[in-house]
Amino acid sequence: MLKENILNLNDSYKNPFSEYNANVMEPKTILSYWCSPFNFMQFAGVNESDVYTDKMPIVFIGGRGTGKTMFLKYFSFPVQIEEARKIVNDNRSSLTHFIQKGGIGFYLRIDGPRLRSFTGAGVSDETWLSIFTHYFELVLGREYIAVLKRLTEDEILNKKSVSQDFIPKIDKLIGNASKKSRSFEDILAEIDNKLLEVDEFRANIRFSNISFQPQKAFTSESLSFSIPQIAKETIPEFKEGINFIVLIDEFENFLAPQQRIVNALLKFVEPGITFRIGMRSEGFRTFETISKDDFIKEGRDYRKIVFEEVLIKDKGYQQFLKDIARKRLEKVKLFMEKGFVDISKILDNSENLEEEAKLLTKKNPGKHFDLLKDKSPHEIKLLENSDNPLIEMLNILWVSRKVGPNEVNQSMKEYLNGENTEKAKKYKRDYIDKYKLSLMFLLASVYRKKKMYYSFNTFSFLSSGIVGHFIELCRNCFQYAEFENRELLFQKGKILPIQQDKAAKIVGDTELHMIQRIEEFGDYLYRFTVNIGNLFRDYHKDKGIKYPETNQFAVDKGAIEEKYRSAFNAALKWSVIQKKPALQQPSPGKHVKDIYTINRIFAPRFEISYRTRGGYSVELTPQDVKKLMTENDVKPTPIRKRLRNKKNDKEGNWGQQSFDF
Amino acid sequence: MMAQNIYNMTQVDGNWNNIPNHFDCFLIAGGSDCRAYEVLKKAKSDNVKIDNVYFFDFDERKKGINKKFKDAYNEYQKLGFNINKISCSIQDPSACIKSLPKLGIDFSKHEQPAIDISCFTKPYFYLILKHMQLINKFSSISVFYSEPKSYVFPKGLFSSYQSSIGPLNILEIPGYSGSDVRGQKRILVILLGFDGDLSREINEDVAPSETFIVNGFPGYAPKFKDISLICNERLIQEKNSEINYCRANNPFETFNLLETLKKDEKLQSRYGNFFMNIAPLGTKPMALGACLFAIHNPEVRIVYPMPENYIKVTTDNSWKSWVYSIPLMIRNLGHFGVGPR
Repeated sequence: MLKENILNLNDSYKNPFSEYNANVMEPKTILSYWCSPFNFMQFAGVNESDVYTDKMPIVFIGGRGTGKTMFLKYFSFPVQIEEARKIVNDNRSSLTHFIQKGGIGFYLRIDGPRLRSFTGAGVSDETWLSIFTHYFELVLGREYIAVLKRLTEDEILNKKSVSQDFIPKIDKLIGNASKKSRSFEDILAEIDNKLLEVDEFRANIRFSNISFQPQKAFTSESLSFSIPQIAKETIPEFKEGINFIVLIDEFENFLAPQQRIVNALLKFVEPGITFRIGMRSEGFRTFETISKDDFIKEGRDYRKIVFEEVLIKDKGYQQFLKDIARKRLEKVKLFMEKGFVDISKILDNSENLEEEAKLLTKKNPGKHFDLLKDKSPHEIKLLENSDNPLIEMLNILWVSRKVGPNEVNQSMKEYLNGENTEKAKKYKRDYIDKYKLSLMFLLASVYRKKKMYYSFNTFSFLSSGIVGHFIELCRNCFQYAEFENRELLFQKGKILPIQQDKAAKIVGDTELHMIQRIEEFGDYLYRFTVNIGNLFRDYHKDKGIKYPETNQFAVDKGAIEEKYRSAFNAALKWSVIQKKPALQQPSPGKHVKDIYTINRIFAPRFEISYRTRGGYSVELTPQDVKKLMTENDVKPTPIRKRLRNKKNDKEGNWGQQSFDF
Repeated sequence: MMAQNIYNMTQVDGNWNNIPNHFDCFLIAGGSDCRAYEVLKKAKSDNVKIDNVYFFDFDERKKGINKKFKDAYNEYQKLGFNINKISCSIQDPSACIKSLPKLGIDFSKHEQPAIDISCFTKPYFYLILKHMQLINKFSSISVFYSEPKSYVFPKGLFSSYQSSIGPLNILEIPGYSGSDVRGQKRILVILLGFDGDLSREINEDVAPSETFIVNGFPGYAPKFKDISLICNERLIQEKNSEINYCRANNPFETFNLLETLKKDEKLQSRYGNFFMNIAPLGTKPMALGACLFAIHNPEVRIVYPMPENYIKVTTDNSWKSWVYSIPLMIRNLGHFGVGPR
């Protein structure tokens, strides 16, 4: 019986991370997966209630997979009504939920192909602007009406005041001349007919030069602001302070003239109506409004919250990821019953570099001492620690930095014996705090093998603040585990490092491959990523480890030639590179600059560190950026020369000489 | 009772049997693939009368090609037909079609139109067929197609095929924007090709509640079915996707499948009236089936990844050639039944 039960549990298993696209999730699913980031981290001074009550528009910026859609959808009406029903039973009391929240969210997403169809075909930009304004007003107006219809049907709103006062005014607003009493359905059908006029025009304009002549044209604000105003005037429940929150997703897909229309709405928001916008980094194509003389400005017209910045720098990020994973793992009966719901236990919390190093050197132990060809067997003996190749690598590094083998041996012993001496402390600092991971990369390079990427800690770093990356890493490693070591997963709730590593590499490869298909500058971005990734890789192979774990760069973006600056912005938009939150010195003694990292999801592809230590940043000139974007297989010679020629480069050049460009 | 139409799909054999032997208007696209002028060559050798060949001369296809491909591209000149050249750009089919009156080209003066879609890009032949229906009011058209013997896989069979170069822009095919009633659920039908990046991108952009994957089976060769599945593994694994099969060289089977989906009671009970999106990434005959379906169901949207450019040569040698009789007038077509093969 027990065996049968286990078999059933196994059969019912499905990858807990297989569902990841919030765009297609039903409200109930969104609610069941929802983990409030506000519980784990500071959102630039914004708290959950501000989403409904702050009058100023807020722009949420984040790369693909950062959870913007999940975030915006959570605050939308269909999800909130589900949440209200979990708390209160009767419909009328659901109103209290919205009053307490302070608003109702109206979610709007217009897909890229549709937005891109409002252009070209010999129609002037200004005409398209008018047509899109008309379309946008209708789409948003429809969203309002559909929600109000549902609220009325569910008797959350008073039916009488809605039908007597609200509907006639809306009827008039949308241009219904007949005096016949109308319903929400009639109004929705009327709006749909008007949208159909737009669709027909878009289809036919590709074949012949026709003009757009709607029955009634809608200008900016004519529905987007008027419908909420009428609702507030005529429906008593809306007089109690329920705001209309327009949640616009994927704003980066809006073309520049289309963004101008929304920018104007952001600038002139009226009491009781405001906007929450989700978009990718550098997603604003323009800051202009409909009037080209006017523009929106951060701080004055909107607040900005960058998801990746918050997620990367906040210590609560790992806890947030654990919670996201827990909710998914709990949905798998097998895991729930056996208590396998902590992802940090399934993957192990952090990597075991010593074990990994032993495994890596197993077939040819001691090969790394080939790096010290001028040392005698006796001296090599002093540097050996057969139990820990990484310690041996540190000893080699010290010797290469002109520390005598005897002194190295002494420091190592004092450290291993746990003595409280200066030598032991220095040795510990170098081993634990400074070089351990770098030594692992170097060791892998000496053995011509690949460093493995595994553990919860590594995955959270690799995800680069993008929750979608984390889910994708988990999805892949659960898939490998199910296929290759199902028993271990199902019985012990464990996934082997080798399967995690495969997942990390496949996700990195896939993401890298996808760069080429980015609609604008895809080729430049791909070349840039490959070139800079390889450059960082060379730093990781530097036997002197002069700049440990170098994987960031500094550049004066403003000085980059316009075309390549646009490409650079596209790289930020698609999170191919990420800007560090604050200005930093590229290296000690330098002026502060903007510092960028490549998305760490690519780290396994280039065999570089998954974390950013800071310290040293490669300084790129605008010409370097152009070169890295336009040329294949760039050899980083100019950069290397700059490093080598530095007058203040007083440290030994043993490492620099070893670069193999 | 379900309406039935008998479809007409005929193999173009050496003797041009059972195929009209006179066309007053024949549209063809320039290309360097072996199959580009296969039908014209067969017509020539079988003394088929073609009054006017409208040759769509793509700027992008002539740039940066070596002599061998250039010669292949220009082979049409040796066939001795009356050629009317139309200069055009792959990037902008709409501009090309709208420029036809200015060039004094009016297909409607003809009575027996035909098109060879072998080397047209899909947006182009979609637009041409809609133009033929909407502007020229043709009730039907003969559509020719030559199958490739194989495709070019530069780095091995799996995951290396790309038909396009550079960044992608996912667009509605001009004239096929459909009617998206807000609030309706979306379904996406992907006619599967080998380029896995494309299907994934489209799926993400359209964000459907359910995705139907249509694989070409039987394909031109047995292995093609598996290659397309492997290349699209990521999409197939996603939740809410279902795999269906349609003969790779039969547009009417694709039409029938789409018709069935449209009327599917389970889908209707799940989503009510849904907004159907189709991404024709698979073979051209399958894409032709989707085109036929969209012409007769204008509320359906066709989405397609428009690349910066296409690979100059993606196929290898020519295999069988077919002619399909495609009805263009809007009426309740119902399903197509088996016709002559």
